[in-house]
Amino acid sequence: MFAALHLPALPVAAALEVQPDCRRLPCAILAMEADIADSAKSKIPLLAINRIAAGTGIAPGWPLNRALVRCPDLHLLPRHPEQETRLLTRLCELAESLSPDLEITRADLVVIDLCRSGRHGESWRQAALDGLEIHRAAAETPDLAHLAVLHPGLDGHLLSRETLAALPLGSLHEIARGEGFLQPLADWGLRQLGDFMKLPRPDLVARLGPRAGHWHAILHGECRLLRLHRPPESLAQAFEPEDAIATLDALTFLLKRLLHALSARLHARHLAASRLSLILHLDRSGLWKRHIRLPEARSHAADLLRPLLTVLDGLTLENPVTRIELDAEPAAPGTSQREWLGRQLPQPDRWPETIRKLEALVGIGRVGIPVPSASHRADAATLRPVPLTFDETAPIPTAAPSAPPSTALPLRRFRPPPGVIVTTDPAQSPAAPLAILSGPHRGRITRCEGPFPSSGNWWQDGWQRLEWDIELESHHLLRLAFLPPADWQLEGIYA
Amino acid sequence: MSPAIEELRQQLRDRFPAAHAPLRPVPSPEPAPEPLVFQSYPAGGLSEIVTPEGRSPLGLLVAGWLGEPDHALAFPDLVLVDGSDSLDPDSLGGNACSRLLWVRCSSAMDLIKAGELLIRDGNLPTILLDAAGLPLRSLRQIPASAWWRLKQAAEDHGCRVICLSPQPLIPCAAMRLSLNADFSLDDLYLSRREVLPRLHAKTERLRMAN
Repeated sequence: MFAALHLPALPVAAALEVQPDCRRLPCAILAMEADIADSAKSKIPLLAINRIAAGTGIAPGWPLNRALVRCPDLHLLPRHPEQETRLLTRLCELAESLSPDLEITRADLVVIDLCRSGRHGESWRQAALDGLEIHRAAAETPDLAHLAVLHPGLDGHLLSRETLAALPLGSLHEIARGEGFLQPLADWGLRQLGDFMKLPRPDLVARLGPRAGHWHAILHGECRLLRLHRPPESLAQAFEPEDAIATLDALTFLLKRLLHALSARLHARHLAASRLSLILHLDRSGLWKRHIRLPEARSHAADLLRPLLTVLDGLTLENPVTRIELDAEPAAPGTSQREWLGRQLPQPDRWPETIRKLEALVGIGRVGIPVPSASHRADAATLRPVPLTFDETAPIPTAAPSAPPSTALPLRRFRPPPGVIVTTDPAQSPAAPLAILSGPHRGRITRCEGPFPSSGNWWQDGWQRLEWDIELESHHLLRLAFLPPADWQLEGIYA
Repeated sequence: MSPAIEELRQQLRDRFPAAHAPLRPVPSPEPAPEPLVFQSYPAGGLSEIVTPEGRSPLGLLVAGWLGEPDHALAFPDLVLVDGSDSLDPDSLGGNACSRLLWVRCSSAMDLIKAGELLIRDGNLPTILLDAAGLPLRSLRQIPASAWWRLKQAAEDHGCRVICLSPQPLIPCAAMRLSLNADFSLDDLYLSRREVLPRLHAKTERLRMAN
């Protein structure tokens, strides 16, 4: 036995929940809401109407201009999808009170399997929602219950085979919307479902196709399995302290308390959290909300607390916190076996978070794996992003084949390179440097090697430079660069 | 020897056993540390390498640590927190660079904060803090408590932290080396393998872990 519960004209009912003053007026909702001219709007069909509007003789599907002729006082309401979802949730809760096995067949209709209801099997007849009109019907199969609940005359009835046969053929339109075989049936002069049920199925399939045979079987009591609706398991918690929270320490303490409960619930279900949602209600008004996607599903309270503290660290709120809401998205815990012989990260879940913190500290693009440049241009090396997971088999992006270093001593670059004043030997061409007169490393140049000319990118913003390796009196080894026409700068120190 | 003296000695030995314990062998002097071997530096502690300002062969030390691998790594195994953003990847080679995670800081406080983040992360065992290019004034402004925090974090996570500094900075360093090398312009054009053995380290401080 299956029962069906239906909220007729759900969009209008939801809109009237928001605007209760309009309950005594004929109200309707258009099938499409858009900022269009009145002339075009008048042709939009009605999506749903309330009972008072239906009493004037109009029906859903009528164009607005035609409905207004019949009902000049028709009041158009805006649609409220969120309220419609709430009403559907209420309908599901009502259905769950009858049986845990239910299917949301349509946005305004649920079908309930009453096989497990036992002695409460007749309680569907008393199902009701405060302030809302609700239709109920029952039948031997889910689809017949669906069919029955949409027929106004069968409200509160158990659909029998005789009643089904007496229903008009048009009632099949409601559940078999868009099926092409219905119009030929009407053309053949069939008026009731019983007429359709009497037809031999093999011949019906041969003439009108397998869909006609499918619906023929349904009317003859073919049953199907319900697509069971299981509400998502909520791990949400909330806490309202007696005094508003104004410090991070107090907030951390309460978060730890909530996380311990959350962790225990996750452990009990063999689950982990893949996302945390934290909502802070502020005093007087305001709401602070943040969703944190965890790099790896975790269930330990300490692991869950760390990303929360990262977010809250440095957060300044305008008002104290009066209520904390914490929710988690459950996920299967990560299953990775530790290797004994291979290299791996001891704390893989911390690694992405640490990299993000480093980037927040020193700046985006300033943390990474250096990649030497393929160009001879000075300081053109780039940074490769750090892998957030350890995978030794991952391909390594290389910008250029690895070249051996040009000097035995690495250069320690000055960034940005300081400009210096240099005296040169005019007898040589190009003029060799003799002494550095300004900058951090002044003094006479005792030896120099060079110049080493380089240039590039001549086709667009070309660059050109002459470089010398120099040794000062102080025995410092430096790289000095001349940038035409007259600029000298210290590139770095060999060390 | 008379039995009376022997008996007296026996009584003294019984009464003051510590005074008559056999002398411990004199420890041999510590061998000179090998600066290019990570195992020379204590794990779970702070080590400091001090070099004279401006002539520090720290770049060569880092290059020696990275070596000249024959293939690139997919994941770095060494962190360089570069306080003055002075590393030149072109001087190291592509394969050596692939071993390095480079954190480009611009101040002494960034260096300390980034170092602490990486130590507390606990994923990479060796962290180099390069303070050599930073101005002495800003380095002296680092409170001693910051170094103690780093030491505590390194102990907790078993991390080997090596700080390269222009002068002694770390009050709680478990090991302090002074590094010296004298290079001339001619040495620039030798191979790196020829100049690396000329790095000389001298232990200035060695404190055993608690």
